[in-house]
Amino acid sequence: MSENEATPVGKVAPEDRRIGVYICHCGGNISDYVDVEAVREALADEPGVVVSTTELFACSDGTQHDMIDAIKEKQLDGLVVASCSPKLHQVTFRNVAARAGMNPYTYSQVNVREQGSWAHQHDKAGATEKVIGLVRSSVAKTRLSDALEPLRFDTVPRALVVGAGIAGLRAAIGLAEIGLEAVVVEKAPEVGGWVGRHGETFPSNAAGRDQIASLNEQIKQRRDITVYTNAELTGKSGTFGNYSAEITLHRDGGDKTLTVDVGSIIVATGFDSYAPDDGEFGYGIEGVVTLPQFKELVDASEAGKLIYNGRPVRSVGYVYCVGSRQEAGGNEYCSKFCCTAAIHASVLVNKLDPSVRQFHLYRDVRAYGRNELLYNETRDAGSVFLKFADDAPPTVAKLPSGGLGLTITDLLTDSREVTIPVDLVVLVTGMVPRQNKSLVDLLKLPLGTDGFFNEIHPKLRPVETVVDGVMIAGCCQSPRTAGESVAAGLAAVAQSAALLKKGYAELEPLVARIDPEKCTGSGDCLTACPYDSITSIEWDGRQIASVDPATCKGCGGCIPVCGADAIDLLGYTDAQMRAAIEEMFEASVPVKEPVA
Amino acid sequence: MATLVNPNLITDLQKFGAADVNACFSCGNCTAICPLADNDATFPRRFIRLAQVGLTDDLVTSKELWTCYQCGMCTSRCPQEADPAEFMATARRYAIAKLDRTGIARAMYTSPVAAAVISLVGLVIFGGFFASVKATAEERLVFGVPYEWIHLVGLVVMILVVLIAVFNLAMMARATAKRDEVSAKSLFGSRKAWGNTLRAVWYSVGVESLGQKRYREDCEDDDPKEPLYRRRWLIHFLTVWGFLALFAATLIHYGSDIIGLQGAAVGVVALVARVVGTIGGIAMMYGVTWFMINRKQKVSAAAQHSAPSDWLFLWMLWITGLTGFIIEVSLYLPQDHPQPWAYVLFLVHVAIAMELVLFLPFTKFAHVMYRPVALFFYALAKQRSAELQSV
Repeated sequence: MSENEATPVGKVAPEDRRIGVYICHCGGNISDYVDVEAVREALADEPGVVVSTTELFACSDGTQHDMIDAIKEKQLDGLVVASCSPKLHQVTFRNVAARAGMNPYTYSQVNVREQGSWAHQHDKAGATEKVIGLVRSSVAKTRLSDALEPLRFDTVPRALVVGAGIAGLRAAIGLAEIGLEAVVVEKAPEVGGWVGRHGETFPSNAAGRDQIASLNEQIKQRRDITVYTNAELTGKSGTFGNYSAEITLHRDGGDKTLTVDVGSIIVATGFDSYAPDDGEFGYGIEGVVTLPQFKELVDASEAGKLIYNGRPVRSVGYVYCVGSRQEAGGNEYCSKFCCTAAIHASVLVNKLDPSVRQFHLYRDVRAYGRNELLYNETRDAGSVFLKFADDAPPTVAKLPSGGLGLTITDLLTDSREVTIPVDLVVLVTGMVPRQNKSLVDLLKLPLGTDGFFNEIHPKLRPVETVVDGVMIAGCCQSPRTAGESVAAGLAAVAQSAALLKKGYAELEPLVARIDPEKCTGSGDCLTACPYDSITSIEWDGRQIASVDPATCKGCGGCIPVCGADAIDLLGYTDAQMRAAIEEMFEASVPVKEPVA
Repeated sequence: MATLVNPNLITDLQKFGAADVNACFSCGNCTAICPLADNDATFPRRFIRLAQVGLTDDLVTSKELWTCYQCGMCTSRCPQEADPAEFMATARRYAIAKLDRTGIARAMYTSPVAAAVISLVGLVIFGGFFASVKATAEERLVFGVPYEWIHLVGLVVMILVVLIAVFNLAMMARATAKRDEVSAKSLFGSRKAWGNTLRAVWYSVGVESLGQKRYREDCEDDDPKEPLYRRRWLIHFLTVWGFLALFAATLIHYGSDIIGLQGAAVGVVALVARVVGTIGGIAMMYGVTWFMINRKQKVSAAAQHSAPSDWLFLWMLWITGLTGFIIEVSLYLPQDHPQPWAYVLFLVHVAIAMELVLFLPFTKFAHVMYRPVALFFYALAKQRSAELQSV
């Protein structure tokens, strides 16, 4: 690529640019090891450099004002600050440029602290020489900088919610309340998911099915929420803010397809309950049930009558951590809701019939937060907790006398091996990721090693995925309680509002750009792009590549694979990078010994 | 080998006292604070756990139940307010009931009505029997009741009690011996083993049962510490020695009769027996009376909860003592023949005394047989750990 391809500001020749160079002392972090005066002097006579100065703290308010004044006064069109990492202050100085009326994308930050002073504390001359090279290189890049504008496009004020469990339904109401339309797609014939099947649930003891009914009632009264049951998301096109979703409705007369435009997609597809293998903790023997099966039994029981298969249940044994915290290769995670769910079920059993004896065989009880009170409640009511070691799980077998025997080496009873005769064994099963391959493929949802969907950052961006405009909420992301799922659903609502409420979206203009003249249509970049931002289009009678600036992340992955050299990354053009590198290896500048 | 547990043990146990140990989460504060728990006998935590899990045999045959004197420090320090001291007391009641195969102890402990009916029936049978036996002209009478019959019935009652006691103790001792790995060989296999065994017997019977050493020390921790004249160990000590003195007086009297003592010696022996018996009676009455006051006023952890059977035991001792004194006093009244009221009182006195002995395995009285055996095994365990430490 030749230099004349660059598009400098206002077509000004590179050597005629008016660039300000600021070298920061960073207190002494930089100036203790780098001769900042030597750097300033070395840069002062560089072509295009109008201002070269040192500052004690470039980021201080006062210096920022001085910079703005200098930019205005000297009519600068480029800015270089040699200071710390761009992670710390790139936004600061871009804002300085913008406030002074200068295009913020003509600003370059040089990290001379981490890469200069801190890295070479024992070689002051060498550090100074390196910093001069780095700053000159950045100036060379800035000479060729373009005035770029943020990408801006209109967005659709509507969100798609996939999954009508408690998280999805609550999110739909949240969207509507904030002024965004909601379209809910549910695979099952009924809304409500797991919670909708339950009677009393912790922590409030309200019935799950009542809570779902109440949400459903609110939804029915709103015109801005549409719910499709027996329906699946089967297609998606477009970009964030402007997705086009294809929904297939499974109806008696055959499938029907419809398309809705949405700005964002909230995935709340929930979980599957762990299904024990045959024989795992006696699963398959009559009287050995999973936690969801047991909850159904308890919910359906009348006071004084806990009955299983026609026989009254006088004693219940719970085996905790079934399907959770397994050896490497299995489900290594803790499902975190199941301890409390089992404990809550035992409290319900005690209310039904206080004479039922209940034994809890656990590894660790994780009834965290207020759930601790439920744990106390069930112990006070007579539930006995027996602890087994990780490597010595209990066994379940039929007793010769009839009934079931739970055999455990109880760490709390002098590690005695005891067999507890019980009428019913409850395997406290955890959550496993729901198998949803078509949806994962369609939305390009990132999966963690545990099979649940991954967020960008567990603390700071907990509901966003690397796919812009696609959010995750609830147990599809990780095991959690209903309350935590709803909170995540509402977080996804807030995040959708942040994207869609302005009516338009702005994106960084630092994206790849294809030169249609040079592109040979090889298609190599299409496969290289991790974000599927490049498509093949027809141009001038032939197929060429085209980048969607809305989904391009500016990673630059397409550039080296292009045999025709037809791709450039705005803000980091080939010309800029080449000039920067060449400048760095210019004949080294003689450096005076630094002042002691 | 896994032990099959009884899931309903705790429910059953709760019929014997205010032992709500569901709240216990096995923290072990009770064991840490207990002045009597050591490596050779750790409690109460372990025994609460046995009850929760349902290990009945381990609980009821354990020596540790009987090494506790219920000072109540564990209860005062329990963060869950599970009242471990009362649990230990309840577990002792439960052990007495469980080791008794007749079901009498269970009935008397769990049902006040049954306790009352059984006592009254016993009273009527014994009293009725002694009232009905007709004396022949040659027979000596005691307050109108034939002397020989009293001794004969007393002998039968004691033999019966000994048989039951031996059977119950064997169950407990066998289980404890197995758990503590005590065998006939380790007890009597060598000269040294004999020595250890005799030392353990001396400790349990002499130092502890008669000397009350640990009980005495245990009371030092009572809070509030009772004044000496009504301190638990002292009134217990006086009750025990008083009872033993009365027993001794009876034996002296009976013994002199068996060996056919003649002449002036009869009067001397009778006087000795009367003096010993009177002093013993006063000591026992003093102790029992304070026990009853303490229970009524709930002065200590040990007196907080009283089962009907606990009261029954005290009342029987007290009535026996009181009637005995009144009868004794009546002897010095200026009449030639016993008064009708003295005759009735004597019937009551003898009937209750018989009952008292007969009920030994079924009431709180049973501790006189279980505690020394438990302390014997405790002494053996202590000897063994001392030996291991010196190695």
